[in-house]
Amino acid sequence: METTENHNAADNLRRASIDRSVKGPVLFLYANAALWLLTSTVLGLVSSVKLYAPEFLDYDWLYFLNYARIQPAHMSALIYGWAFQAGLGTMIWLAARRSGQELRNGKASIVVATFFWNIGITLGLIGIFFGQSSSIQWMEFPAYVWPLFIIAFLIIAYRLVMLFVMSEKEGGFKITTWYILAACFWFPWVFLTTFLYVHYFASTGNGAMAAGINAWYVSSVIMLFFVPVGLGACYYFVPKITGKPIHSAQLASLGFWGLALLGGWTGMQKYMGGPLPSYLPGISGMAMLLLLVPAGVVVLNFHMSSDGRRGLIQTSPTLRFVFAGSFAYVIMAGMGALLGTFWTGSLFQFTYAEYGYHLLAVYGFFSMTMFGAIYYIVPRLTGCEWLSSRMIRSHFWFSVYGITALVVLMFLGGLSQGASINDPNNWDQSVTGSIQIARGYLIGRTLAWALILWSNFWFFIHLVFMILGLGRRSIAPTLLVHDSKHDYVPGTLTSLTTTAQ
Amino acid sequence: MTSLRQFVTCLALSFALPWLVLIIVPALLAQKLAPMSYDKEKDGRVGVYPGKGIYRQGQIVYASEGCVQCHTQMIRPAFYGITDQWKKGWGSDQSKIPTQPTRPTTMRDFMGEPFAYIGIQRTGPDLANVGYRLADVPREEIHAHLYDPRATHEWSIMPGLRHLYIEKKIQGNGSPQALKLTGDAAPKPGYEVVPSTDAELLVDYLLSLKKDAPIPGTIVSTEAPAAATPPAAPAPAAQK
Repeated sequence: METTENHNAADNLRRASIDRSVKGPVLFLYANAALWLLTSTVLGLVSSVKLYAPEFLDYDWLYFLNYARIQPAHMSALIYGWAFQAGLGTMIWLAARRSGQELRNGKASIVVATFFWNIGITLGLIGIFFGQSSSIQWMEFPAYVWPLFIIAFLIIAYRLVMLFVMSEKEGGFKITTWYILAACFWFPWVFLTTFLYVHYFASTGNGAMAAGINAWYVSSVIMLFFVPVGLGACYYFVPKITGKPIHSAQLASLGFWGLALLGGWTGMQKYMGGPLPSYLPGISGMAMLLLLVPAGVVVLNFHMSSDGRRGLIQTSPTLRFVFAGSFAYVIMAGMGALLGTFWTGSLFQFTYAEYGYHLLAVYGFFSMTMFGAIYYIVPRLTGCEWLSSRMIRSHFWFSVYGITALVVLMFLGGLSQGASINDPNNWDQSVTGSIQIARGYLIGRTLAWALILWSNFWFFIHLVFMILGLGRRSIAPTLLVHDSKHDYVPGTLTSLTTTAQ
Repeated sequence: MTSLRQFVTCLALSFALPWLVLIIVPALLAQKLAPMSYDKEKDGRVGVYPGKGIYRQGQIVYASEGCVQCHTQMIRPAFYGITDQWKKGWGSDQSKIPTQPTRPTTMRDFMGEPFAYIGIQRTGPDLANVGYRLADVPREEIHAHLYDPRATHEWSIMPGLRHLYIEKKIQGNGSPQALKLTGDAAPKPGYEVVPSTDAELLVDYLLSLKKDAPIPGTIVSTEAPAAATPPAAPAPAAQK
């Protein structure tokens, strides 16, 4: 599944030495990420049950598991535990490969930074559970843990940027590099602005503006971190696996600069009709609508690039996950536009649809591309192949069915909830929409989380085996052909009878 | 876009614009916001708007409990079918059939709050004006609702905040603050449930949530002679 070009031994050796140089930091990030993903999925499952059966696990000694605490804990674990760490791991590997540089210095500093990042998540979750939540969306961790995150991020980002700085003489078109560098650059800016404002400057200013900046932060993390990292990975793996160059450099460039110009304007639409000056949500809603263009352009480009090679989606786990992710990106842009403009946003505002949108962005789009990246990267770092194509297949399908069900249910649930809130006949019933009408959708949300839990459980087990070096010793990658011979049977010698190479 | 420096410059320029226009300039303008005073002649009342702020000590409990996950504090104006202003009990007018629509929430309503807990979702009712709603409710009933929401409304999905209450042995005649609980929520015989400091702070905060004071210059005095201002509708209603 390598590129058709440059198949000579020297190149392979160089790639292997680059891979070896990033092995420790990347695997450490991935292992922690997978653990937090599993944690977050369990929390999401419990929190979804709480919405229609609050008596569930409602013992006095488990008081901290009520919805108001478990829901922010679930989202924080998903975003900072899983998504950021998986993203950073992928970024390090992509940066090393793209720059053609070995990671010589700073391996230990990345590992230490990751270690403190995880300490931060642990402290933050304990803080949320035991009554120190700040209730600032996606920043619920208590204020004192955030310096850990930003310092760890800056250390890792510094090493990444240095890799590119050292290789700057290599010219040429590098769209993946752009996306990764941009993510390293945007996130600290967005984060520091928001963190400093809501925790330090807001007390002298106005609370409504702090809430608006918080909404901007949530949207910016999606648009200026998850989207660039996810797309950067897509732009690397699609040509890599199909063996064809990206169809159009112009479209790729348009997609990138479209995102760069529009991404920072989004977010305020959350409080449309609210206490903010109304031009803020107006501009943000417009940006969400315009972002459909770069999203469409990017996905069109992937579509054209894989033209004629789409059969590989059947066999390559990476291409399959990356394609599902890039497809989710267009859906996400469409849903964002629906939620963002005043015409339809007034219906979806403050409903379950926002949760659906966030999960579509973080799981449907970003996590799927990261899964694809992990299926490609980890065998190259550990020197062994994935154990079972059956496990990869079930990870894929349960994830796809789970997240599709979740997003569709939350979208429709949000629609009926919003319609009920806005219905003039319900002038004296403020909560029927969110409790009675949405109940069926909320039960479905639990089922969706159960599917995702099943898929992530196997993903976690599979990844742990790989990291422990217990994968298949084989020169052939694990592909998803419908042939049970590929599945590893414990206690037998591994068969080398692969059909597709 | 060959050199890294050029690339980073372009990134910085493209991001600096939204950063300035969307964040920095509005934040600086928001700092300049000052209270407005009522005009006795026009508004028929004296004082300033916004008046008494929220009870900050209790707001910290509100945040740490995560109430914002389900409760908003924002009355939306009427656009594209939004009917927040006419929801029963969401404004200062607590009569059975309110005659005045609730005023949409403005930026000044959140003056003096370090962070406006506008809310993440609206699963439960809006709390922007819950202070008016609870004004005539006995304090121990508010506590009883927080302690066991399903005792008052069995369909409620609100989590009970039992951890903010202390179950203790009745001494003498019992505590005057003790909650009157019946059914499943009732403590065992000889025991009583009293609110902790945090629970009292939270209730004080809820009682202080009154974001429906009229905005200076938009008041239609009901006491004024009928001929003076009959057709002038208040500003919010004009957006209908």
